[in-house]
Amino acid sequence: MTESCAEKTFAATTIADIVGKASISRATFYKHFTNKRECFDAAADRALAELRAAVEDAAGGAGAPGVVAVRAAIAATLTRLAAQPAQARLLLVEAPSVDPEIVGRCRGFVTAAMGACLRAGEVGGAGADPNIAFGRATVLMVEYVATDRVRQLPALLPELLYIALLPYVGHAVAVEQAGAER
Amino acid sequence: MSEQGLPAAGDREIDSLPKDLHLWKLPRGRHGLPRELVDRSQRERLLASVVRVTATKGYRESSVADILTEAGVGRETFYRHFKDKQDCFIAANDALVGDLESHVRAAYDRPGSWAQRVHWGLAEILRWFAANPEVTRVMMVEMGAVGPIASERFRGTFHRFTAMLDEGRGPVGETAIDLPDIATIAGGAVFARVYEEVVVGRAAELMDLLPQLTFELLLPYIGEAAAGEEREVAIRSARR
Repeated sequence: MTESCAEKTFAATTIADIVGKASISRATFYKHFTNKRECFDAAADRALAELRAAVEDAAGGAGAPGVVAVRAAIAATLTRLAAQPAQARLLLVEAPSVDPEIVGRCRGFVTAAMGACLRAGEVGGAGADPNIAFGRATVLMVEYVATDRVRQLPALLPELLYIALLPYVGHAVAVEQAGAER
Repeated sequence: MSEQGLPAAGDREIDSLPKDLHLWKLPRGRHGLPRELVDRSQRERLLASVVRVTATKGYRESSVADILTEAGVGRETFYRHFKDKQDCFIAANDALVGDLESHVRAAYDRPGSWAQRVHWGLAEILRWFAANPEVTRVMMVEMGAVGPIASERFRGTFHRFTAMLDEGRGPVGETAIDLPDIATIAGGAVFARVYEEVVVGRAAELMDLLPQLTFELLLPYIGEAAAGEEREVAIRSARR
């Protein structure tokens, strides 16, 4: 499913495509899934679980919470997606139109984790919205994936660090941190 | 900073298509109109039709036959104007984006500070989407199901809009981030948030987001204080 989506989009993917690539029979497919959408959801869930494991590994390893942990988490995310281009496409390009709920879940998880790491900034009243920051990050990553630059995702670390820190430490400090990264 | 309100919204007809794609039903048979006019009308009917059919059935489920029926146009005529369904859809998308762009351009080119102009341009985008919710959904969500050409088109449109942010901005101040993708980082906030609302059918309420999105759009360029001022102006304007 993941591969086929990457090649021809979810919309154009057929059960025949999936079973062909997996070298299984249609009967086997239908033992596991009612339709291609269920298969997609399972593929996306797996991609997310693997990504999450990689990130928790790296961020947990960075020791104390804070900017250092955030940086490690972003770096791990980019490394993982760059190494798994088909999964990157599935999550970033296909999921938003196939199942917006996946995006919502991701956003919820990431913003909760960020909130746990860093307190929301008190910069002049209502500052940047962490949910919107998540949106900025995905648009930037999609840009790279869509222009065949998946392998170069790790180069986005400074910009994603700016985006991630923005709601919590404010624009000026986020600029500083991103600048230190380059 | 002077408090300039938004340009008068006027009576915007809440319709499923912008006026210049209205359906004209020509009388059947000979009507004595110049060929060019007939052609143009038929082409426009087909453009309006592909959008309507896609909005109803989804792009993949829509056939050329569906488009012909909705438009009241014959098959030969269709293939005189378009190569296939995709060609027709992309032409419709281009016409709609062109309409949106001309509205945004008009708002953005009004005299004012850069930040004000960005706010007015953004207001126009949200207003257009809110006034054309079904069309917006087709352009944003269905485009993903059409294929690589459409997706590239879509990205091209996004970049044309974010490029406008650089116009008349003046020299990069200390506050702006010195990162290559600043326009994408700024515009991405708007796009992602708008998409979220459109995909669940809430495009009609997009104007509610104008103040916060004004803030988020300007923030990477001018920092919290200045972006916050524009947000305040937007909130006050909305109350009037």
